Amino acid sequence: MEDYDYLFKIVLIGNAGVGKTCLVRRFTQGLFPPGQGATIGVDFMIKTVEIKGVKVKLQIWDTAGQERFRSITQSYYRSANALILTYDITCEDSFRCLPEWLREIEQYANNQVVTILVGNKIDLAEKREVHRQRAEEFAEAHSMLYLETSAKESDNVEKLFLDLACVLIREAKQNTLDNNESAPMPGEGKNINYLSCCNIN
Amino acid sequence: MDEVGSPAFRRSSAPASSSIRTETIESLTDLEDLERVYAQLCAEEVEVQKELKVLSGQQSTIETKMLALQRIGPNLQLIEGDATQLSGMINFTCSLAENVSSKVRQLDLTKKRLYQAIQRADDILDLKFCTDGVQTALRNNDYEQAAAHIHRYLSLDQSVIELSRQGGESTAVDASLALLQEAEVNLKALVTKRLEEAVATGDLPQVERFFKILPLLGLHEQGLAQFAKYLCSQLASKAEENLLLAMGSDLSDRRAPLIFADTLTLLLEGIARIIETHQPIVETYYGPGRLYTLLTHLQKECDAQAQKVVEKFIQQRDYCNKFQVVQSSMMRGVSVEKIEPRELDPVLCEVTLMNSRAELYLRFLKRRISADFEVADATATDSVIQEHQQCLERLLKDCKLSCTIQELIGYYIPMEEYYMRETVNKAVTMDTAEVGQLSSSMVDDVFYIVKKCISRALTSGNSDCVCAMINHAISVLETDFREVLVTKLRAGYPASTLQDLHRGVTSAVSLMQSSLQQGKIQSLGIESQEQAKTAYLVTLNNVQVCSENISTLKKNLESDCAKLFSQLAGSEHAQAKIDSCLSDLVNTSSKLKDLLQEGLQELSNTAIKPQVKPWISSFLSIAHNIEEEEFSEYEVNDPWVQQLVVQLEQLMAEFKAALSPIIYDTLTSLMTSLVAMELEKTIFKCTFSRLGGLQFDKELRSLVAYLSSVTSWTIRDKFARLTQIATILNLERVSEILDYWGPNSGPLTWRLTPAEVRQVLALRVDFRSEDIKRLRL
Ligand SMILES: Nc1nc2c(ncn2[C@@H]2O[C@H](COP(=O)(O)OP(=O)(O)OP(=O)(O)O)[C@@H](O)[C@H]2O)c(=O)[nH]1
Ligand SMILES: [Mg+2]
Repeated sequence: MEDYDYLFKIVLIGNAGVGKTCLVRRFTQGLFPPGQGATIGVDFMIKTVEIKGVKVKLQIWDTAGQERFRSITQSYYRSANALILTYDITCEDSFRCLPEWLREIEQYANNQVVTILVGNKIDLAEKREVHRQRAEEFAEAHSMLYLETSAKESDNVEKLFLDLACVLIREAKQNTLDNNESAPMPGEGKNINYLSCCNIN
Repeated sequence: MDEVGSPAFRRSSAPASSSIRTETIESLTDLEDLERVYAQLCAEEVEVQKELKVLSGQQSTIETKMLALQRIGPNLQLIEGDATQLSGMINFTCSLAENVSSKVRQLDLTKKRLYQAIQRADDILDLKFCTDGVQTALRNNDYEQAAAHIHRYLSLDQSVIELSRQGGESTAVDASLALLQEAEVNLKALVTKRLEEAVATGDLPQVERFFKILPLLGLHEQGLAQFAKYLCSQLASKAEENLLLAMGSDLSDRRAPLIFADTLTLLLEGIARIIETHQPIVETYYGPGRLYTLLTHLQKECDAQAQKVVEKFIQQRDYCNKFQVVQSSMMRGVSVEKIEPRELDPVLCEVTLMNSRAELYLRFLKRRISADFEVADATATDSVIQEHQQCLERLLKDCKLSCTIQELIGYYIPMEEYYMRETVNKAVTMDTAEVGQLSSSMVDDVFYIVKKCISRALTSGNSDCVCAMINHAISVLETDFREVLVTKLRAGYPASTLQDLHRGVTSAVSLMQSSLQQGKIQSLGIESQEQAKTAYLVTLNNVQVCSENISTLKKNLESDCAKLFSQLAGSEHAQAKIDSCLSDLVNTSSKLKDLLQEGLQELSNTAIKPQVKPWISSFLSIAHNIEEEEFSEYEVNDPWVQQLVVQLEQLMAEFKAALSPIIYDTLTSLMTSLVAMELEKTIFKCTFSRLGGLQFDKELRSLVAYLSSVTSWTIRDKFARLTQIATILNLERVSEILDYWGPNSGPLTWRLTPAEVRQVLALRVDFRSEDIKRLRL
């Protein structure tokens, strides 16, 4: 037996330099890496957390924001359970690119994916360029969760991943419930109906 | 000695020599007691006498030993005297040694000072010698000699020179110094200029000559920069030549489709060769740890030249345009312009080859520079080592070559994905099922394609590229290809109306015959129906082969990746990433298994259930409320079960021939469940006599025996309820059930509820309902 109850794939996306790698390393290793270089391709980390006695294994894929890695990172969307779309609150540009990222999500991710918008670097409050309210409205308009973080000061980083894990657990439970309801004959094989026309995919 | 003395000693210290005290004796009045005590005392006396004898026997031994001891006495006195004498001597020697060593220390100090004095004198002499030497060497254009003198001067202890100037010879030294400093400046300028000239004219011997001189003058950076400049110009001219050759090469040549990869390879190999050739001279004249500096210069040229090759590649192969067409046709699905996937084959191979060469080269750089730093940093602090490490990482990560190649791979991935999807689609359209084959061509074709694409990605040596292609492959298999299988299954297995008409006539031949009699249209209908059936069964086999193929694919890729990445340093991370991506294939495989299960259920519902149901319900027309006579009659002429077995056998024969053994087995299991379920329903509609119950028990046994023989699944469990029903129907009296029920059930686990037991009992015509009601279950 594996030593977890749920396994979720979380993929971080967003412009280069917004702090994706720092968020992941803060969460998985508890540190803020000095002089963190740009990510090449995709990085991969695992952390298992326990939420109310439920063991959740988080498989975290930290993608490179630079344009030339886009086709590599796109291949990870489809199987992602959650996406963390990150921008930098001190960088208007990274916020203005969000619609472009949403298009990517629309195109490549599965439609059950949970997306959370994250505004990072709130420790640099004096350099803030994107107001919280603006971001919240944007997130709401695109039915995303929203959270502001600081990988440097470890603000909300733990919360980000744990909240996400909670949402994913809830959705997973809901899914198994739905499947059981539609089960024609319990006990005979799996309960997912691929052949009935109303239920493709 | 001790051994002899101790027993005696121990004995004398015993509390009393007798176990009986005098007072005790005096208080005795009874004769009997007295006699007993007396006897005891006598015994003790004997004991004591024995001991005394032993002790007096030891006397002579002890006396001998005493004598020996007395003889040793005088010797001991002698030893004491000797020891005192020795101690005196040691004291004396000690103070003598102290005395001498302090003198030696003084001598040592003097000697050291003397040496220093000589060194200083030497240095001053050297200074003079150098001054003279430099002049002469410069006059003779002997730069090596001149540089050697300057080097000697530069390596002199500056504090000594300072001291000398304060000493008596200050003026002489000052003059020498001034001359030397002037000579140093001149020589530096001169040598640098000559090196530049040599570099400009590409005069290798001269370049090497002055390159060796510069570090003697402390001009390491300049020396390396100039040398690199020379190497770069060599590199550039060779690279341009190669690129021109490539452009003009014969298109029919075998290597023509890979010509740009080959050109890039030549460039990178050229640099590797330069490093091989020139590292020794750099290390000899500049010391270890300088390779990094040299390569930062060289890498710039490498980047520029690689860029040119890549640009030509993009231009000649129409790389970006191809990408654009692919991109737009994947976005919109059907586009006006479409690329034949076969056309992409060569360019995809070439790109992965280019990437693999670049990776190889960068790994080579890393290995060489690391090793060079390692030698230089043997005694360095951790922070210096780390700093060097970071410099190296940055050089490799940020160089233009890396970025360019990453860009190429960025375009490669969608094109490879397109290639995979389109070719898979083609394999699906060209799907054919050979007669006699259980599955059709597309399953193996599709996996061949997927394997080919991922293997090609693997040749790039770029783990992210491999992961991306694994992800896409999973997507193709799990959505596109699975959808194909789902659609085929959704077409369904045709319900056999004809078979219903000609119930019992199920062999294909007789079907054909009977249909031929009914005219052409009907036979056409049958043909297409047969096709649909075959298609359905083939698809079921396909689904199963697919889920097996996926497992094989995963295993093969795992070992391929392990082979490729295991030799690389720091590859555990890449390996973990790939493994994680590959593990998603397990999901894909289990989704197909679910699909198979569902397809089989569907088959059972449409092709087995409608047939089996009437066969089973024909049981109703066989009376089981029977007497002796009928029972014997049944024994001779089996009324039902043998016919059923034959029918089932015929029904399943078609599937047995057309399905793979594993699937057929699962289908048989579904069939047996169905038989059990239907039979149970039927039984409750019958009535039984005692002998009828016995008859049913016989029939059930035959049926279970037959079904057990045709499947590897266990039948007993599925027929447990029926078996128990048969048991009940076989009872003599109603109350006999209690012998099997509750505490008497023994190993038997009842699958029937008490209500059901009553229901079964009620099927017996000879059981009175009051008896049944009265039962306490
Ligand atoms: N002040 C502050 N700086 C941060 C924070 N998070 C990241 N940074 C800095 O932002 C820079 C980029 O961080 P990364 O984590 O490498 O950014 P990234 O999103 O992973 O970038 P790519 O890998 O290129 O996509 C680094 O210099 C970090 O030190 C934060 O919370 N506060
Ligand atoms: Mg990063």
